[in-house]
Amino acid sequence: MLRLCEWLEQIPWIVAITNSAVLISLVWLVHYFGFFLLVGTTAVVDLRVLGASARNLKLAPLAGQLFPLAWIGLGLVIASGFIMFAGQATTFYPTAVFRIKMGMVLLALLFGMIVQRNLPVWDRAPSVPAAAKWVAFASLTLWIGAILAGLEVAAFIPGI
Amino acid sequence: MHSWLVGICDRLQNIRLVVWLVTAQYAYPFIQWTHLTGLSLWLGTTLALDFRLVGAGKRFQTAAQLSDALFTWNWVGLGIAVLGGITLFATAAVGYIDNPAFRIKLGVLLPMALAWHIFVQRKSRTWGRTPETPAVAKLAGLMEIVLWVSVATAAVWIPNY
Repeated sequence: MLRLCEWLEQIPWIVAITNSAVLISLVWLVHYFGFFLLVGTTAVVDLRVLGASARNLKLAPLAGQLFPLAWIGLGLVIASGFIMFAGQATTFYPTAVFRIKMGMVLLALLFGMIVQRNLPVWDRAPSVPAAAKWVAFASLTLWIGAILAGLEVAAFIPGI
Repeated sequence: MHSWLVGICDRLQNIRLVVWLVTAQYAYPFIQWTHLTGLSLWLGTTLALDFRLVGAGKRFQTAAQLSDALFTWNWVGLGIAVLGGITLFATAAVGYIDNPAFRIKLGVLLPMALAWHIFVQRKSRTWGRTPETPAVAKLAGLMEIVLWVSVATAAVWIPNY
């Protein structure tokens, strides 16, 4: 795995982006906007499941509107995140906080997909089931936690 | 004027709590976290309305309905972001006020984007009555997206000075 990380760090275009203040700033910008879209829209849907937002709308149409934006955000986050990781892969890979962050992101995505899959059922029920609320709460908490973990990673790894 | 401002910034930076936030291990990311979590809510909901005005997701609900639905968390998000932003500023206030990227962000781009946001959010009630939004709404939505991207671009540029 460390071999792979070393190889990633030496890909010429990755090196070029990592060493350019302008380009790496743009990568960060894309990463920020990616998770603004991803986390912001997911949070609103989760809050709606919890009964704390957008009560004037049914769950399914609200999610229909917001989930495509969350997916676009995820695409941006993965593309930019890959470049950020690859540039200093050997430093990122063994760092515990980084692993914790990735674990939280994967779990949050899993919960998000559970929400997306079950929305039509929850929408038809007279009231949102308690289990649904727990899933939404977990998704919300994991995303907020992932942002914190991501920033702790940045604090741990100098020069990013 | 400038020395007066520097004086205030210097005092801000030396508040005991602020000094502690800068020196304590693990504390600084928590301030960034407040800023970025708030921004996720603020910009996630703001951009969602903008994209709806541009024409995305017409079959789900009108822009007016969406605007209503997102209104509360939109502003809660800004509140959290501002709280984090002020704290971030306080940790290195003297440096920030002379940073060109920071000045452009706070002095020019942010006020513009914020004013435009309030205008768009108010108008979305009339623009968004029908599933199809008027051309002016599409343009206004697109423009707001551009404005927030420019605010964030200035922000990521701050450390480069």
